[in-house]
Amino acid sequence: MCAASTARPAKGSVTPAVEAQGLTKAFGSGPTEVQALRGVDLSLRQGVFLAVMGPSGSGKSTLLHLVGGLTKPTSGKVLVGGQDLSALNDDALTLLRRRRIGFVFQFFNLLPILTALENVALPLIIDGVREAEATQRAAAAMELVGIAHRRGHRPGKLSGGEQQRVAVARALVTEPVLILADEPTGNLDSTTGDQVMALLRRLVDERGQTILMVTHDPRAAAMADSLLTLKDGFVAHEQRLDGGRSAGEILRELEGLS
Amino acid sequence: MLAGRLEAKGASLSVKHALLGLLARGPQHGYELKAALDGELVPLSPLNFGQIYTTLERLERDGLVVHQVVAQEERPDKKVFSLTPQGRAELEYWLSSPSSLSLDLRNETFLKFMLAGLLRGRVPGVHPAAVMAAERRAAFDSLHEVARARLLLDPDGSPPEVGLLLDLASLRLEAFLKWLDRCDEVLTRGASGAPDG
Repeated sequence: MCAASTARPAKGSVTPAVEAQGLTKAFGSGPTEVQALRGVDLSLRQGVFLAVMGPSGSGKSTLLHLVGGLTKPTSGKVLVGGQDLSALNDDALTLLRRRRIGFVFQFFNLLPILTALENVALPLIIDGVREAEATQRAAAAMELVGIAHRRGHRPGKLSGGEQQRVAVARALVTEPVLILADEPTGNLDSTTGDQVMALLRRLVDERGQTILMVTHDPRAAAMADSLLTLKDGFVAHEQRLDGGRSAGEILRELEGLS
Repeated sequence: MLAGRLEAKGASLSVKHALLGLLARGPQHGYELKAALDGELVPLSPLNFGQIYTTLERLERDGLVVHQVVAQEERPDKKVFSLTPQGRAELEYWLSSPSSLSLDLRNETFLKFMLAGLLRGRVPGVHPAAVMAAERRAAFDSLHEVARARLLLDPDGSPPEVGLLLDLASLRLEAFLKWLDRCDEVLTRGASGAPDG
């Protein structure tokens, strides 16, 4: 059975949140074979926010799907919270995805017939958590992302930014070791996109959440701690985004001027 | 420093007109002018006193402002500046004229890109792809700083005008990054034509 637990490991423990080793992925075979990934390594410490960029066809979505256990690599392996995904059977993989990975998508992917609160509680309900507890944890997650006042609304009654907040709450509700975000600002205007990015940033800074985000938007990517650029299935470029100065220093400077 | 990294290369702000504009609200002394510049008009990139006083002297020489010496107890006299009619006319003319946006046709990154292409193979270690990678790295570092600054200002109650200034910086950097992608495309095309790439 699944070795994954729902407990979130303490920030700073040695096990990386995610590791990928020699990851390759080919689609099709023979003359129509497409090499989407040609050997990618990465190691993501807990509490780090990584942005993955690259032109379309560079392999960034494939990387996200492999790390999320949605597809299997042609070769190489993925470890999430120290757990080798290739060692899991389909049932165990489903459980790990449900309990240890939170997903945030471009088009929110909320169920239209459920209220916001029910959408957020859903991963827990599916996992067999009692309804009272699931509802309570869902409400707490919604509080955390500032959308608690919309708990009774159906997604159709919410703005894009609100829907994405609900989706972030749903991703958080299981206290996952990793959040995978696929173009989370792709369907939002720039102000709302900034707000969603500010929320993701806050989850990293205040809760030590680990996030891997795929985006083509440099403005969103710039919110991350590190940037990985893929090109033709390879890592073309890797960069820590610290700019040489801490956020505190920038803040002091801005405060000094006001 | 945020200001140092993000300062638009080549584009120089008109301190002269900033001062004329502040004096159009009423007479002020140098310190007050400096505070208003830092607080409202140039909030993310403080000007130094030297620049302000030099500009005031020049404005006075050109008849756009005059000063009056006001005696203070136990402190040195202070100069209070005010706008002349010519100064007001100059301000109004400037406000109604569009700013000269630089087309940046002597762009430094382009120069490096071209030179690295010409010198490639002749000077060891020089390659346009490396030049562009360094530019990209620096642009993302700056964009990260802008994003962090926006985040620190945003939570509540920050003046929206400062946000606009950060937006301008961000959009410029995003455009620059997009342009670097174009440069990469040109390089890739060149490399596939000439296998030595």
